[in-house]
Amino acid sequence: MLAGYDTLITAIALGAILAYSFHIVLMAGQLSLAQAGFAALGAYVSTLVVPVEPLFGSLSPVLVGLPVGATVGAAAAFLLGLPVLRLRGVFLAIATIAFGEMVRVFLNNVEWTNGPLGLRVEKWVTVDFAWIVVAVLAYLVWRLGPSRTGRAFAAVREDELAAGSMGVDVVRTRMTSFVASGAIAGVYGVMFAYFFGRITPASFDFSLMLDGLVTAVVGGYLVFFGPVIGSGFLTAVPEIQKALGLEAGWIHPLVTGLLLLAVIVFLPGGLSTLLARVHRRPRPVGADEEDAFAGLPPLPAPGMTIARLRGVEKRYGAVRAVQGVDLEIRSGEILGVIGPNGAGKTTLVNMISGLVPPTGGEGDVLGVGLGRPGLAHRFAGAGVSRTFQHSKLFHRLNALDNVLVGAHPIARPTYLRRLFWLPSARRDERRTLALAWAQLRRVGLADRAHLRPGALSYGDQRRLEIARALAGRPTLLILDEPAAGMNHVEAAELAALIRSLAEDGITVLLIEHNVRMVLETCTRLAVMNFGELIATGEPRAVAADPKVVEAYLGAPEPGESEHV
Amino acid sequence: MVQQLANGVFAGSIYALFAIGFTLVFGILRHLNLAHAAIFTAGAFAGIELAVRADLPAWAMFPAVAAIGAAAGLVLERTAFRPLAGRDDEHFAGLISSIAFGGVLIAVLQARYGTEPRSFPLEYFPNRLYEVAGVRVTLTQILTLALALVLMLGLAWLVSSSPMGRAMRAVAENPTAARVLGVNVGLVTAGTYALSSGLGAVAGALLALNLGQADRGLGASIELIGFAVIVLGGLGSLWGAMAAGLVLGLAEALTVHWFDSAWKGMVAFAVLFAVLVLRPRGLFGGAAVREV
Repeated sequence: MLAGYDTLITAIALGAILAYSFHIVLMAGQLSLAQAGFAALGAYVSTLVVPVEPLFGSLSPVLVGLPVGATVGAAAAFLLGLPVLRLRGVFLAIATIAFGEMVRVFLNNVEWTNGPLGLRVEKWVTVDFAWIVVAVLAYLVWRLGPSRTGRAFAAVREDELAAGSMGVDVVRTRMTSFVASGAIAGVYGVMFAYFFGRITPASFDFSLMLDGLVTAVVGGYLVFFGPVIGSGFLTAVPEIQKALGLEAGWIHPLVTGLLLLAVIVFLPGGLSTLLARVHRRPRPVGADEEDAFAGLPPLPAPGMTIARLRGVEKRYGAVRAVQGVDLEIRSGEILGVIGPNGAGKTTLVNMISGLVPPTGGEGDVLGVGLGRPGLAHRFAGAGVSRTFQHSKLFHRLNALDNVLVGAHPIARPTYLRRLFWLPSARRDERRTLALAWAQLRRVGLADRAHLRPGALSYGDQRRLEIARALAGRPTLLILDEPAAGMNHVEAAELAALIRSLAEDGITVLLIEHNVRMVLETCTRLAVMNFGELIATGEPRAVAADPKVVEAYLGAPEPGESEHV
Repeated sequence: MVQQLANGVFAGSIYALFAIGFTLVFGILRHLNLAHAAIFTAGAFAGIELAVRADLPAWAMFPAVAAIGAAAGLVLERTAFRPLAGRDDEHFAGLISSIAFGGVLIAVLQARYGTEPRSFPLEYFPNRLYEVAGVRVTLTQILTLALALVLMLGLAWLVSSSPMGRAMRAVAENPTAARVLGVNVGLVTAGTYALSSGLGAVAGALLALNLGQADRGLGASIELIGFAVIVLGGLGSLWGAMAAGLVLGLAEALTVHWFDSAWKGMVAFAVLFAVLVLRPRGLFGGAAVREV
């Protein structure tokens, strides 16, 4: 029945393979466009090793080429990634485009590639062979989705800063997606060479890159079969056009462009979201929190020093945001940090959670030294977890998935085991799920687990952030103005929640403007003004300290106080 | 050698003219407008059409092309960027939607003009040759350089000193604050696209006049060089783009002189790559560049 459509069906498969190499970086939010270069390198190198006769009489010789292409592509991606992955957004896009063009010019000008004339090889790739490769790729991506690694990809895509604070090694995750993309692009190059039987440097140009990107986006990069849908759809357009008798060459690019525009404007997740139940309600997993946390090392006993800062300073140019702060945090306490706006509270906790390195002084938090940038995930791994002043939830993940990312520091990697359906992977995933559900219940959001953050009220968003921060079972939980925007009933509930966390042995560092709540909740207060710590101690005593009163209300004019 | 340098300057002035429109949109709106090359191509075809059909002389043709480009820019902003405003993935989606818009525009050009190159009429622009200090220059090249300079300086003046420019810089700094202070952000956004696209279209018509003809691939051939120019100059920096356009034009001319024209393509990208890795703000970029 499909006879005569072989070429078309194989072309769909090839388009899907190319789109997968974009899909995998888009999943991690990286706009990397070097795939044409990786594919070219994979294709050209594979022609040096692929035998001219079938293996053992019957196997496709391309089987030799695929691992070689994948290795070449991955190696090229790794080497390119070392310098360029410091770049983000459009800068990364442009640098990777430049790489692709450099590869093309290079291949045009060296001897062994036969320059612009290109190389001829046998057409070994058949329909079945191409679709087997697509099936393998789709399987690999499908199993990636709900694994620890897949969640790390999604977290980095949505918000790198928050991902790092949840324990995700952002640099490594970006590199992983980059290298995987290189490997898939290398495979595509080999498939391309042995399907068309000819490669030239111009085969792997800017327009190939655009085709791959467009296919990946039209199909959608949030669902694992997106590339197949995208490729099938875009390859079908010219066929339908032919069937309708529209032969003019300009109709195809016109229709493709209009469709792409329509998809990106009206269907941001791509066509595959029409077919996949992206917003399906997750089923609660019931194990209680005790079980989920079983097997983890116990929290430190109350009263131990878990963080120590000495003379810590942070300067931005001439501005001293924080200076000369000496502070110890002891386990089990609820330490409130208060101070007027701009006093340096958030900068201080950014240093304690590893987001910004101090410019002076020293300190360590749970055994991790302050100092080097880009290591927020190490702090999270050691047991520091936080919420943000302006909530940094992962907007395209539902509430449950947000909390699942938070469990990253204590979840076990499951991807490789998931590929082989090992029961232990399933057990580990269920345990992580149970943990996330327990936190959602704790903050009262279990019935809203399927909603995205945008659909939650402001107070619910703040609670969700707390649940996410709790899922990694932190030793030290940092809450940056959690009650901002809450009404007094919600704030009272929040205060009760914080006290119950302390009863569980979690140390809490609370930045808050709601002084009444701070006085009722905290066991110790630290007051900041102009970047300096001006008082620490027992809440009532600190609140009565004249220096503190002055910082909040201003110094009385001389002689004024008698009249008041 | 001097001749090569002179050719480099002429090529560089077109690169710069292409790139300032590109970088203007990025600098003010943080959009990477990948439809700019298509508008450039459309400008070239529009120029030829006006010359052939309407018999417009060059002095009237360029303003008309600028107006057509500006209109295309308004449509572009309306269809490909405005619907995405405020979305989480606004920047990424804008990249894709501008690719789509560019594809549609090129398809429309193909529908009207076919796939063959179109030419300016013979003798459309006096093809006089001058010799200055041993360098041969054509009148077209002089016009190119002069027009590029006038437009770039005009744009620089507009952005730095006019009320519209002040509003644009306010939007670049902080769109929300600008809106609160009474700047009509929608109008500024549309105006920026119109300005950018008008410049891009004129640049296209200028290149076509230099070549005598245009085809569908005209914009694509310069798009990648345009990336190199705006990055080298510091994404969003007008003066940087102008300087970088000249630098790249000269660098290419020198590569052809010293090595081989086959390696010409490598120069722009090697420079671009090195700049991105070593100095992402560009050689001339100030501290104002924010990453998206």
